[in-house]
Order: sequence, then structure tokens, then C-alpha cells
Amino acid sequence: MTLETPNFQAYRGKEPPRFANRAELECAKVLDYYGVPWDYEPTTFVLESDEEGRIVEAFKPDFYLPEQDLYVEVTVMKQSLVTRKNRKLRKLRERYPDVRVKLFYKRDIERLAERYRLELAS
Amino acid sequence: MYLSREELRTRVRELGREIERDYDGLGPMLVAPLKASLVFVADLSRAIRIPHELDFLELASYAASADTGGHARVRLLKDLDAEIVGRHVLIVEDVIDTGLTLNYLCKTLGLREPASLAAVTLLDRPYRRLVDDLPVRYVGFTVPDELFVGYGFDLQERHRNLPDLHVLRTES
Repeated sequence: MTLETPNFQAYRGKEPPRFANRAELECAKVLDYYGVPWDYEPTTFVLESDEEGRIVEAFKPDFYLPEQDLYVEVTVMKQSLVTRKNRKLRKLRERYPDVRVKLFYKRDIERLAERYRLELAS
Repeated sequence: MYLSREELRTRVRELGREIERDYDGLGPMLVAPLKASLVFVADLSRAIRIPHELDFLELASYAASADTGGHARVRLLKDLDAEIVGRHVLIVEDVIDTGLTLNYLCKTLGLREPASLAAVTLLDRPYRRLVDDLPVRYVGFTVPDELFVGYGFDLQERHRNLPDLHVLRTES
């Protein structure tokens, strides 16, 4: 599936964003519409390394809103199926207590879709 | 039904008392974005017993913009009629969730140098906030993750006129 990449105006990243799914694209479009500066996957947080310093587990939140200093992870999985993601998020908060991150669940995205009439079907 | 007309009336009256206490002698201007806040601002204005003014603005909705096929930025379809420089402005919102709309309004109106800028909202969903640093000074009700109709809230432009606030159940 190839997703469109509109000419974003509030995007603060260097490379054109390559969204993993339609929900991410639509979230980006809403942020851009309201002029909220955003970046896409700018930071990889190391959650676990082995004894030789190799990364064993990492987490890369989807969006970063620099004016809010907030990371946003968008998931289209049902809330009941996001145990693994929640665990990563918990780890992230333990290892990086100063990092603000918010998880948008499928239900949150659906609410956004209802409010803004987003196209999430494809 | 989620909130009866009596519960709404009681809370709006309390908000009115708080606002008139905080803004006494300041001649505040209530600014309401159309359309969902229309019923709320009508009741709130009548609950505020100090002199104040009313003005309205309207933002182009994201949905309408998307319908035209373009990738646009939010803009005012209707601007305020009055100047707000040096005025105490209170934005009257129907609901705040992500905070994106209110953030835009605060930035836009803030450029016009009001004496102060704050917001009152009938409903609040703080758990879905993307923009936190908003001047939300008064909250009517913090509500769960539901869709509402009535008391100004619509479903495709219907049900705004219902006097109570109802939870809308959608088939999944």
C-alpha cells in the first residue's frame, strides 16, 4: 500500500515522512491542518541493551510535537490487544521519566475520525 | 440521557457565578465558535449578571476542507465583529479534547493583544489532550469517552435542539 504524502506545512522533519498506515497519515494531516508543528519518528529510545551495548529493545514513537514536547504513539490495534505496546510504554516511562509520551488507541483514532471525518478505511 | 436540563442549568449557573466574580468590573467579551457552543453560550451569557459582550466566529472544519480535496490549513470563515485589543476575552467552547481548535484560536486571538485570554468549556476530555498549555479556566463537566447529542451537539446537524445531553450509541 502506498500512501499519499501531501505537502505538509507544519512538518519539522528533514526527510519526507513514510507512514506505516492510514491512521498515521490522517493524524499528520489533522496536526498540519491546525498548524501544530510535528515530526515523524525522530527519536529511538533504547529500552534494553545487552552486556556488549547492543540494542535489544527500542521504541520509536510515531510523532513528536516540539511545541508541546510530547511524543504520540498511534496504534490501530484494539485496546485489548496492545499489551506489548503498553509494556514498552511503561518501560519507556521508567527509563526516561522526563519524556512525555501519549498513546492514542484505536478508539481514540475512531473518535478523531468521527470528529474530523477522517478516511481510515484504506 | 447523560445530563438533564436541570443538571446543565445548575452547572451553567455556577459557571456564571464564578465568571462574574472573576471578571467583575472588567467588561469581558464572550467569544463563541459556531455552532455547537451556541446553546451553551446563550445560557451562560444569561447566567452572568455583570456587563459583558458577545461575539462569534466560525472556523473552517477539517472535514469540509478535506471534502474540497485540498490539503489546507484551518482558517476563519467568520471573524469577530469587534476589536479585542485591550479587552478581557473569554472563549466559550462546547468541548475540548485534543485542544487543537482552542490552541489555534488562542494563537490567532492572542496576536490581537487582548488584555487577557481564557476559556470556558462545557465538556472536557483531558485524557485526549495533545496540546496542554491552554488557558482553560472553567470546566463544566469532565466527560467520558462518548459521543453526545443535544444541548447544541449534533449528529450531522440534527439533535442540537434537544434540551438534555444524550450519549449517542453507534453500531460497531
